[in-house]
Amino acid sequence: MATPIRAPRINNNDDEVKVLAFDVQPGTLVKSGQIVGQIETDKAVLDVESPADGYVLGLLAKPDDVVKVGSILLWLGESPDEPMPEAPDEPKAGARALGETTAKARLLLSKHGLRADAIQPIDGRITVEAIEKHLAARGGSQSAVNRTMAPDRSPEPAPDVPGVAVSLSKEEKGMAATVLWHRDQAVAGYVEIEYDLAPWAEYAKRLQDEKGWMMSPLLSLMAWRLTQAVAKNPRLNATLLNGQRYEYATINLGFTIQAGEALYLAVVRDAGQMDEPTFVNALGDLQRRAAGHKLREAETSGATIGFSSMERWKVTRHIPILPPQTAFMVAHAAGRDGKGILGASYDHRILNGAQVVGALRHLARPATN
Amino acid sequence: MNTTTSPFDRDSLGKPVVGPDPKALFAFGHLLRETEKLILDLFSQGLVSGTTHTCLGQELCQLAVVRALNDPDDHVLSNHRNHGHFLTYSGDFTGLVAEIMGRASGVCGGFGGSQHIAYRHFHSNGVQAGMTAIGTGIALALKAKRSKGIVAIVIGDGTLGEGLLYESMNLAAVWNAPVLFVVEHNGIAQTTYTRHTIGGDIAARGQAFGLATWRVDDCDPEFIAKTTGVVEQLRANGGPGMLIIDTGRLGPHSKGDDLRPAEEREALRLRDPLRKLAENLDPAEVTAIEAANKVFLDAVESSAMASPPATFDTTPQHAFRMAVEKDFVNAAPLSANVRQALNDALGQLLAHDEAVVVLGEDLHDPYGGAFKVTAGLSSKFPDRVISTPISEAGITGAGIGLAMASKKPVIEIMFADFLTLCMDQIYNHAVKFPGMFPDTRVPLVIRTPCGGRRGYGPTHSQSPENIFVAVPGLSVVYGSHRHNPGQLLINAVERWPNPTLFLEHKLLYGEKVDPQDYEPLAGGADDLGATLFPTIRRGASDPDITLLSYGGMLPVAERAARQLEDDDELLVEIVAPALLAPLPRQSLLALLANRPRILVVEESHPHFGFGAEILATLAENGFTGKVARLGTPPAPIAAARSLESAQLPDEEAIVAAVLGMLQ
Repeated sequence: MATPIRAPRINNNDDEVKVLAFDVQPGTLVKSGQIVGQIETDKAVLDVESPADGYVLGLLAKPDDVVKVGSILLWLGESPDEPMPEAPDEPKAGARALGETTAKARLLLSKHGLRADAIQPIDGRITVEAIEKHLAARGGSQSAVNRTMAPDRSPEPAPDVPGVAVSLSKEEKGMAATVLWHRDQAVAGYVEIEYDLAPWAEYAKRLQDEKGWMMSPLLSLMAWRLTQAVAKNPRLNATLLNGQRYEYATINLGFTIQAGEALYLAVVRDAGQMDEPTFVNALGDLQRRAAGHKLREAETSGATIGFSSMERWKVTRHIPILPPQTAFMVAHAAGRDGKGILGASYDHRILNGAQVVGALRHLARPATN
Repeated sequence: MNTTTSPFDRDSLGKPVVGPDPKALFAFGHLLRETEKLILDLFSQGLVSGTTHTCLGQELCQLAVVRALNDPDDHVLSNHRNHGHFLTYSGDFTGLVAEIMGRASGVCGGFGGSQHIAYRHFHSNGVQAGMTAIGTGIALALKAKRSKGIVAIVIGDGTLGEGLLYESMNLAAVWNAPVLFVVEHNGIAQTTYTRHTIGGDIAARGQAFGLATWRVDDCDPEFIAKTTGVVEQLRANGGPGMLIIDTGRLGPHSKGDDLRPAEEREALRLRDPLRKLAENLDPAEVTAIEAANKVFLDAVESSAMASPPATFDTTPQHAFRMAVEKDFVNAAPLSANVRQALNDALGQLLAHDEAVVVLGEDLHDPYGGAFKVTAGLSSKFPDRVISTPISEAGITGAGIGLAMASKKPVIEIMFADFLTLCMDQIYNHAVKFPGMFPDTRVPLVIRTPCGGRRGYGPTHSQSPENIFVAVPGLSVVYGSHRHNPGQLLINAVERWPNPTLFLEHKLLYGEKVDPQDYEPLAGGADDLGATLFPTIRRGASDPDITLLSYGGMLPVAERAARQLEDDDELLVEIVAPALLAPLPRQSLLALLANRPRILVVEESHPHFGFGAEILATLAENGFTGKVARLGTPPAPIAAARSLESAQLPDEEAIVAAVLGMLQ
């Protein structure tokens, strides 16, 4: 009957030992007490002695292997040709039964509103690849994973000039997606009007003094006035969806904020429910957190209407890009000689020039009361 | 400023000079008594907050040892009844009265009150026997620098019931450290006669530990001379001793709790050694002394009353000292394993900084510590790698004392489970002093192996960081093989001057030190210590799931992440802080604020601990994603491997928890 020689424990606190060498080979006849090999822990080397006479039937480890204390190093038999017993299986954690759908695929099913039984599995499982294939077959050209780079265009040829490819940051990817939506979906137009700066400046100054605000609230007040314009004309706060005008039930006002290299479209959600000072405070809070790059995801997505100012850079005129699924974005700029330009980019599919000018005129003066 | 003429002279360090003659002794003893009466009077007027313990009747007992301490390195470690010791050591009467009144000009700015005072080499605290091991550690430091200074550790006879005292007496004996344990034996502990609470003989206690032991009575006409002789003898011998002083407490323990019968109090009044001194003086001299002391104390009272209530410039939000910028040899970035990295770091610390001293049980060669982290070090640095008795509280206290005496002690506790024995020294001493006393530093590092998966059972397998992260002022560092553990240890000892618990998971000792693709997070401006003990992360920047884990759970989290990536196509991020407290909130928030799902995985019990804190912080800051915690259920950890593995979270448990979050 075969006898195992096991890896001995050297140190109470070491559960594994390293096999250094075997001094015997299969077929070797060893005597009880003979050294058959060496093992070591971090701090000690130990000879392994045979507990009995016998022939080495086989080695179950090789030099440099790290083995568990108590595991079998070699088998001894009464004759050299005795079969080596099969090592009892080490109990090991049973392999996890994998779900029919990968977890990532489940996330995508949920995101796309798909049912699992609609998807043709690949190798028996519903995977990301399986869902992407389903989406492609259904006609959606968007990749389920990389949908920010929407349109299906042939890839651009690599430039001849040598260079380095730099990954886009999250904000830069967002900007690229915005510009592509503007190009590929909206039918963008632009109009502008001239207006007097003084009434707004006086109004903002008066409120700043009244409320004790640290910063001039001018732009925030104009943005709030924009939310009031929506009350007069809901189609400003809308987008075109499946051939219909989709008027949003809430006003999520997107406001461009440059913070260092990052350009954010910070979103005041439910702006239509706010009174003027609440709105100014909410936007101020977003501006502060944008400066520290601490905006939450919900505060940089879901805009339904937009306001952009380049006054800070003394720009006197600019044409904003429409954020995805918006129809109206105000362009505020620096004034000159008491006059300023107030413009707007708009989606011509749902707004016409007259409607836009009407809204801009509303914006051009603060509320009279 | 008190301009009244002081009724006593001072030496070059400002310590009152109290002569051995009856007149000088009466003058100073009377001043102590009248100060205590003043304090009680102020108390009765509602001008003292909290509590106070006077030494009425014990004035000579309290001044006798302290007056005899004349080496600049001499230390006094006192207790709750400390006024006589402090005033004899400092002569700062206004400082004490104002401190007890909570005034700005108090000797500790109002932080300590009556019981907690630090002034030069005088320290007192409010936990019985709490200062005994600390004093022993200070004495060890004095001995190491061959100073002639000694440490007087003063306790009352009520403290003879505390176990730490005996650990300290044993340590002082084993180290032959110059400590004088002074027992002020007034026969009563608060309201309980100590004849009902002390077994055996008091002097036999000192003798049993091999301490030179003396017993004197403060009514003995030779009391002062004998006490002075004890101090001189102890200084000459250089080793430890015990002095028992029989005395009598005239007043209550604190206030209004003197329930002793009238005849007993009358006997004490007649015994009063101060009164006896006065009886042997010329009545005219007594009257003159009393008058001079009254003038002086009137001025002390006025000065203390004139001081405004203590205020903070800004209310402190933490008690940590800032990191120290200093050049020091760096640990190698890669190492064969964590054990070797820590051993190398300790070797570097001992080689390049003579202040470093390593204490713990079984550290010496050839054993080299239970987990071999100190192997080889006691041979190279025999005086600074010290195997100690099995006295976890004692060596922690000694470490505090060494740290206060400008050493950089690294204490090894054999298993983290035994940290509970050290808790009072950590919780009431190590972390309190830096927060209370601007001049006191406690750069103490306590290293200890923790964690399970070895079948060691309920008291050798725990991960107690959840308890220690809640200790204000304690830093808890828990690195891994993905951090650079040697550098973490060097930073803790050389650059982080704060009491620090340094946890090491047993299973990581054999792991290769390799950061792989982990990257350190930049610490936020408000994240104390985050640069020295960085948080690291790996994996997707737009993950489906973030595993926030640390220490011994990191390899488990890595295996789970691999499964989730391979089998479930998920993008997994792993974030592993090395500094659990103070929590690097700013950098963790910046990283995690917009993550969709975070699972905190810890080997500790997950309730009330690190995971709870970080998730609460996220919630407070508007986090809207999903969160969950995974840890060891709050039940004893079993010894049987099969039971233990069912209790500690493994990769399957992590995978299941993640999939659960995605349902």
